[in-house]
Amino acid sequence: MLKYSIKRILGMIPLLFVISVIAFLFVHLIPGDPARLIAGTDATIEEIKNIREKYGLDEPLYQQYVDYMANLFQGDLGTSIVSARPVMDMLAERFVPTLSLTFASMFWALLFGLLIGVISAVKRNKWQDHLTMFLAVSGVSIPSFWLGLMLIQLFSVQLGWFPTGGIGGIESYILPSLTLGAGVAAIIARFTRSSLMDVLKEDYIRTGRAKGLAEFKVINRHALRNAMIPVVTMSGLQFGFLLSGSIITETIFSWPGLGRLLINSITARDYPVIQAEILLFSLEFLLINLLVDLLYGFLNPKIRYEEGS
Amino acid sequence: MKLSRLFMILSLAFVVVAAGCSNNEESSEKSDAENKKAEAPSNEEGLTIAVESNFTSMDPHDTNDNQSYSAQSAIYEGLLGFDEDLNIVPVLAEEYEANEDSTVFTFTLKEGITFHDGTPFNAEAVKANIDRLADPESQLRRSSLFELVEKTEVTGEYEVEVTLKEPFGAMPNNFAHPAAAMISPKAIESSDEIARNPVGTGPFQFTEWKSGDHLTVEKYEGYREEGVPKVDRVEFKPVPESGSRVAMLQTGEADFVFPVAPNQVETLKDEAGVSVVNKPSLVVKYFSMNTMKEPFNDPKVRKALNYAIDKEAYVNVIYDGYASVTKSEIAPDTQHYAEQEIYKYDPEKAKELLTEAGYPDGFETTIWGGTSSLKQKMMQFYKQQLSQVGITLNVVPMEGGTLGDKIWGVDNPDNAELELYNGGWSPSTADADWGLRPLFSSKSFPPEAYNTAYYENEKVDELLQKGLSTADDKKRGEYYAEAQQIIWDDAPWVFLAVPDLIYAEQEYVDGLTMLPSGVMDLKQAEIVSE
Repeated sequence: MLKYSIKRILGMIPLLFVISVIAFLFVHLIPGDPARLIAGTDATIEEIKNIREKYGLDEPLYQQYVDYMANLFQGDLGTSIVSARPVMDMLAERFVPTLSLTFASMFWALLFGLLIGVISAVKRNKWQDHLTMFLAVSGVSIPSFWLGLMLIQLFSVQLGWFPTGGIGGIESYILPSLTLGAGVAAIIARFTRSSLMDVLKEDYIRTGRAKGLAEFKVINRHALRNAMIPVVTMSGLQFGFLLSGSIITETIFSWPGLGRLLINSITARDYPVIQAEILLFSLEFLLINLLVDLLYGFLNPKIRYEEGS
Repeated sequence: MKLSRLFMILSLAFVVVAAGCSNNEESSEKSDAENKKAEAPSNEEGLTIAVESNFTSMDPHDTNDNQSYSAQSAIYEGLLGFDEDLNIVPVLAEEYEANEDSTVFTFTLKEGITFHDGTPFNAEAVKANIDRLADPESQLRRSSLFELVEKTEVTGEYEVEVTLKEPFGAMPNNFAHPAAAMISPKAIESSDEIARNPVGTGPFQFTEWKSGDHLTVEKYEGYREEGVPKVDRVEFKPVPESGSRVAMLQTGEADFVFPVAPNQVETLKDEAGVSVVNKPSLVVKYFSMNTMKEPFNDPKVRKALNYAIDKEAYVNVIYDGYASVTKSEIAPDTQHYAEQEIYKYDPEKAKELLTEAGYPDGFETTIWGGTSSLKQKMMQFYKQQLSQVGITLNVVPMEGGTLGDKIWGVDNPDNAELELYNGGWSPSTADADWGLRPLFSSKSFPPEAYNTAYYENEKVDELLQKGLSTADDKKRGEYYAEAQQIIWDDAPWVFLAVPDLIYAEQEYVDGLTMLPSGVMDLKQAEIVSE
């Protein structure tokens, strides 16, 4: 398995290279002159020219590309046009808040998602199923900006339990992680339900029941484990999305994470920052996919990673 | 097996979190019962200010957004500055004078002032700053304010003489601009970035800046004025969502909030212990008409559009009443403002003018503007109003970068596709020159500057030039008054409104002022407990 992981990780390098090329091209293809946007609404043409010169934006595109790649190979992600700071520092600063919020959100999502999914699959077509699926559908369809503002209104303004935003102690995580986790919980619940329902139809479940196993054991020991593979895949994907930072949730809760950095850098056409974020998100997804693949082996030992299996 | 364990851990964690919540509940219910108003913080705790977006830099010479200027104004001071009514007042300078043709400015400096790092403030320090700003090699964002400076000479320990390459009557405004703040010469020389390590002479010194989360300043004990500042600490928090800013005021997490969206004023007015303040800004809202293109090359058509839009309705629909109909191309607080007579809403007159111009059945045209919901609402409003006089308006909202490319990416005015542009302008120097020249001079066509009407009038060009060539305020006033009147009559824009600045504060906050330019002044801010 170690060999397999190393191979996969090495395989990421050419992939990341391709991604960096695409990122560079895409970012430079967006219409809009970063120098003009950054210079501000009442800048003079000299100020705009200054910025263009300072950040090499007046050079031909191929030259900019060569510079960018040369720096990248030295591990230098460049300097932000807006803040004039190294992009690496900016990403590092924003990564931890997003990562911790992602963990908190995944905590709620897995807790509620699995619970709701299992209940509704076991109590299929009974009132418990209808109620929990109603919650799941709501979770997916309620827009996060509405949910976030409602949670602030209720829990911060009316009840005064949690702060309205900003990062601080554990209490500052509750509302944003619930807002962010609600949608993911709903997705996990629906996947758990359908997957578990399929498994419950299998012969070995019937056998288990026939030999007199308690229903709890049938579900917990035999069914759930086998039903987990699609759920793990989906959770991994959702985890990746959350790690890219949520623009809306981070905006509503003034969370200093990657999502807000991304939207700010896109509006300002802060090329180096957008490029670096795309690279980071791609790397995150690649790593998570690897992790998910490895998890399959735990869930179903029949899955092997060595060649020829 | 493993899954059941996972469930157990998750549920346990849930119980812990729930328990934590219920603890919070008790304590906050108590404080809830005690008073509905937010409790005043102590001077040591200081003030918390919620603002709209992230700060970009703490290097004033390299900054161009008002919000960063607000935090900087706590840390830095300039030779001159603006008071609450945007009059120019000496700050670090004791006094200043200009020669007849406004090419030489002499500053006498206040004595005994030190920067936060202990460096003395003197003529050498001023020279270091102006040299830095005026050096084109430094590529600072605000170097254009000082591009006319030929040389800066130290004529005494506390006397500096600044010589310009050509006359520039509005130079004192540039010295009073927040970007012309004085940075410690030691900080300029050091390798530490000023943008993250600001050192000035202001009432507060920089403590900490965590991008996207907070920026904190604390009282500078060595400040030259006794008893100032009055609070020990100020924390700025960027809170991009306007609803969240208002919520912070309601919960007492913030003491001062700017800006407040017009549609949230009512919510806050009912809130105990919170006061909402609105006053005219320096912004003028307009839409420009490309005067080089048919049908807008005919002044009658341009006037017709001015008569066709109900400006009072605009103020109510777009700004919930928190704006006033503009009576000039510049806002009343801008220097050398001269009031004009409003094109009063009169659709009949608009139709007559259109008929005279040869468009009895109206015409079809297109407006470009931004994508924010407010800007789209504005353009829909014009569409509805213009349809009443037979003009069909196509509304094309564009994302900022694209819009910029479409307008400022055009080098030859004849190739401009632009017909109408939904815009707004705020002169950061608060002077008529910067309120008019970038918008109406024939040298300001895109991409050079912001004359999106491609408006050209020799007399106006001449007056704007004359205004620059003298430091005599009376003469400048006359030139700019005449220019404003000519432009108003030529009507290259549909003149709309001056929106209000709206901010809200807890009642215990006093002395925190907001200049019409949108820059805060924290010097006299204090917490008044009953």
